[in-house]
Amino acid sequence: MRCSSYSYGLIIPGSDSRFFSLRTVYPFPYAKCPTRISVGSFKMKAKINDAAFVRQSTTQISFYELLGIPQTGTLPEIKQAYKQLARKYHPDVSPPDRVEEYTQRFIRVQEAYETLSDPGRRALYDRDLSKGLHLAFSARRRYQNDVDMEEKSEWKNRWQSQVSELKRRSMNKDSRGNMSWGARMRRQRDELSKEL
Amino acid sequence: MAEPAYTVASDSETTGEEKSSSPFPEIAIGIDIGTSQCSIAFWNGSQVELMKNTRNQKMMRSYVTFKDEIPSGGVSNQLSHEHEMLSGAAIFNVKRLIGRVDTDPVVHASKSLPFLVQTLDIGVRPFIAALVNNVWRSTTPEEVLAIFLVELRAMAETQLKRPIRSAVLTIPVSFSRFQVTRIERACAMAGLHILRLMPEPTAVALLYAQQQQQTVHENMGSGSEKIALIFNMGAGYCDVAVTATAGGVSQIKALAGSAIGGEDLLQNMMHHLMPNSESLFSSHGMNEIKSMALLRVATQDAIHKLSSQNSVQINVDLGTGSKVSKMVTREEFEEVNRKIFEKCETIISQCLHDAKVDTEDLTDVILLGGCSYIPKVRDLVRGICKKEELYKGMNPLEAAVCGAALEGAVTSGISDPFGNLDLLTIQATPLGIGVRADGNNFVPIIPRNTTMPARRDLVFTTVRDNQTEALIIVYEGEGEKVEDNHLLGYFKITGIPPSPKGVPEINVCMDIDASNVLRVLVGVILPGSQHPAIPVMEVRLPTVDDGHGWCAEALHRAYGSTLALETVQKKI
Repeated sequence: MRCSSYSYGLIIPGSDSRFFSLRTVYPFPYAKCPTRISVGSFKMKAKINDAAFVRQSTTQISFYELLGIPQTGTLPEIKQAYKQLARKYHPDVSPPDRVEEYTQRFIRVQEAYETLSDPGRRALYDRDLSKGLHLAFSARRRYQNDVDMEEKSEWKNRWQSQVSELKRRSMNKDSRGNMSWGARMRRQRDELSKEL
Repeated sequence: MAEPAYTVASDSETTGEEKSSSPFPEIAIGIDIGTSQCSIAFWNGSQVELMKNTRNQKMMRSYVTFKDEIPSGGVSNQLSHEHEMLSGAAIFNVKRLIGRVDTDPVVHASKSLPFLVQTLDIGVRPFIAALVNNVWRSTTPEEVLAIFLVELRAMAETQLKRPIRSAVLTIPVSFSRFQVTRIERACAMAGLHILRLMPEPTAVALLYAQQQQQTVHENMGSGSEKIALIFNMGAGYCDVAVTATAGGVSQIKALAGSAIGGEDLLQNMMHHLMPNSESLFSSHGMNEIKSMALLRVATQDAIHKLSSQNSVQINVDLGTGSKVSKMVTREEFEEVNRKIFEKCETIISQCLHDAKVDTEDLTDVILLGGCSYIPKVRDLVRGICKKEELYKGMNPLEAAVCGAALEGAVTSGISDPFGNLDLLTIQATPLGIGVRADGNNFVPIIPRNTTMPARRDLVFTTVRDNQTEALIIVYEGEGEKVEDNHLLGYFKITGIPPSPKGVPEINVCMDIDASNVLRVLVGVILPGSQHPAIPVMEVRLPTVDDGHGWCAEALHRAYGSTLALETVQKKI
């Protein structure tokens, strides 16, 4: 794997993580040096995938890993995996305390689904994947060629970090306000039942 | 506070899912405020049930009369006759007025209603008034809606014997985020918390998902995917959605809609019967209002009859010496409203196209709303969708409110032992959201039909050398030019380091979170720099308020293109 992928969200050890890698850090402030799961080992279900989430940054695993399907997965398999993960991560149904985190995951899952369910985009993605490149968050759509992309990715990454950090802070300030209503209700209820 | 929770993510499987043991959760009710009728439904513990008012009606007329000191709405009020609603004292059709400025063609079309809708045509909110004892008493669409919602709420509280605080409301697809804030305002006035605002056909999609789930009895996630087209045309709005459903999950593939409906059919028909009616009624005197009301009732009646018969004889004495006596055929009715029906076809085609769905992929075609009884509407929907049979499992007038009540139960965190609430709707943005750039163009950053929650960004740059400020003007809509879209807000980026044009990178990021809150974040960076040049701006939208119709023009006059933006890279 090329170093360039580091600019897509790995922690640079010892650096101020706030500025460099919030995309990595964002849901998992304690994640360090994620190890990549090898492409051959999947047939994972959503549950196992969750463990992978913990050890790894979501941006470092491939879309196939994210959906828990083999690279040869068919369209119905992709759709089914997507809907299963949506039931888990969609903010309407996610556990109250993890709404912001799960929202980020849902957006990733959505991205994976949109890429892999479109034959043209999937072909492009597969090509990049075979080169060891993961393009996170629509990079492919935005930048016409890879040179261009690498040039810009560095600052873009910093920007993303900035944005994520900002958002995280603003959410923590008023995390209830940012939860979906259902989540808030569930949390309220949980607190209530604890008191009882 | 939430930070340490991340360290124990490994037991996430059990953290959130073993709850629902709580004593008495409040279940949000579903409310469908239609342009002409409204209804209310709730989850009764095992299924969705529609509420009836004291007169045993499930569908209640959406109007408020200001006849006495205390205004009263169609929930509790007993009308002696249809004409009473058209006496000038009743305000109705507010769904077509709320959140619109007086330059809006939909507001202009409302000027023939039998109450006062006054426009100054300068981009401010229209002046609305009811005739009370020969006095025009002013009100606002928000106030009318709030009075109505208070009645609905009181009715629900009486019947359910518990306080009602939260509700799921349905809204038209074509509503802008600014219009949504007006609905929120009315709900706040009525003491209701909005749990969700759902575009009408997406509420129907949820009901469809539940019905499919029940009929198939399949395991979660397995079973084939079903694609349905939902066409909903009521008095004020026409909405279309394409949804893909499997295992109780309804994914909205595309939405399309427009402010056309039965009201337009009625007005075109009134114009056809009496070509000079608009000028005749423009003075809004007592007699004119009465004439207008008589013509309105007669026309409405004729349109209803034309759904079952081929021609109808209209005889109405308007009282002021003029009489309408005319035989109207169904063909005439269809010809008079040809443009409306063509527009319906366009909306359906666009929705199918956006969803990337061919007609042969459609499992079901669901036709709903008051206009679904019109033969021409049925024919055109069947024609475009190439389906002989329409879906039969839903009541055309009740489906949306039932879907809203289901969503209310699902998002309140209620679980059903029989799995009837193992449902999820994945919503999509009904309109694109973007900024003004490249001259007077609207550049979408979150395109229409993007799955929510969403985050997208796009890089812009300056148009002049040493441009130190940039104006970010945010719009929502589908038009290529900014003036064809809804203005949501504007703010200025200042302190851009002086540099040649095209060098500073201005990243505009848009984020719609789990609660459907829209935020715009703007950061500026110079190539080669390690840090953003200026603090990032974070703005929650919409920021505009009533009377914003002239803002864009004023901004343009004041700044021209001096603070403009340009897109950096061409989209592929």
